[in-house]
Amino acid sequence: MSSYSPIQLAIADQSSPNDQPQRLIRITVVQGQARASADPSVEMNTILGSCVATCLFDPVARIGGMNHFLLAEPPKSAAADSFDSNYGLYLMELLVNEMLQLGAVKSRLKGRLYGGANINPDLGAIGSANAAFARDFLSREGIEKVFEDLEGARARRIQFRPASGLVRCREVAPVAAPTDKPLVRPQSALGNVELF
Amino acid sequence: MQLHPMPDPASASQSSDTPSAAPTVRVLTVDDSASMRALLRSALASRGFNVEQCEDGQEALEWLARNEVDVIITDINMPRLDGFGLIEKLRTSAMHADRPILVLTTESSDEKKQRARQAGATGWIVKPFDADKLTTALRRVTHYHRTPVFQPPRPILTERPPSCAMN
Repeated sequence: MSSYSPIQLAIADQSSPNDQPQRLIRITVVQGQARASADPSVEMNTILGSCVATCLFDPVARIGGMNHFLLAEPPKSAAADSFDSNYGLYLMELLVNEMLQLGAVKSRLKGRLYGGANINPDLGAIGSANAAFARDFLSREGIEKVFEDLEGARARRIQFRPASGLVRCREVAPVAAPTDKPLVRPQSALGNVELF
Repeated sequence: MQLHPMPDPASASQSSDTPSAAPTVRVLTVDDSASMRALLRSALASRGFNVEQCEDGQEALEWLARNEVDVIITDINMPRLDGFGLIEKLRTSAMHADRPILVLTTESSDEKKQRARQAGATGWIVKPFDADKLTTALRRVTHYHRTPVFQPPRPILTERPPSCAMN
């Protein structure tokens, strides 16, 4: 169904081939990832159901980045500080740090939020909960939210050009969205402590 | 069962500041993210820690020139003065040369970890943090820091039990 050629799909860790600098490099940002770039030939892609994608852009340095997350509903026994918002914060911080390392400045960042649809009624308003977390993060961090296309009941395809900050958002059939289940992270890798 | 009588730590000192008394541990967290500060404050305060917070390395350095804490938790990527710079400066100050400093970061590269170690960090914790693991690490490093003068000498093991084999 996609118009994208698999051959053009580039994995984020692969850099642009030097002999073809003009070619569009498509990077798919899947759930649990954060990517940043200043390369004008890069386009970041993702498809969102209940998940939220944050697109950040520094208009002066012309550096952009995107993350893609879905927070799990905390277990009944968990306190309000359970790891789910911790996980969301981690992906937000990962995104900001990747951008800062490329030369972006946090106070210049502008944010756009997408996704958080409530597609499956059985899952409750999990999309809205993710949307609320993302809005709250930008507000707390003093990052200006210049646009949001959140909630509703439709899945979305996002195309983001990090070097120009341009975003294209289209609604797609819900079946196009990946299964909306929070990632199960390896618990052994969570918050590992190493004392020197 | 304790077969050999050991000196009573409480009698060796006027302080009741023994490990079992679980004194309130004062923690300074240094992180430029307001969301992360809020999460850390909530997680640590609810586990009985006394939490102080600074927004970057420079603010922490200035605050620590006038205040004492038991342990410092610092992020790496921060404006003005980053975590590496903060650790290096604290290690050259008489007041905080031996202060336990834990790095709490999204950085996963071994190079950054080694840099933190060389700067004088006490430990390295990768986000997203687990509050219970963080608590255990805080108790451990502050235990070593606060109590050595009250601790009886450890019995010397002439033979290492198999369960303590180095691995």
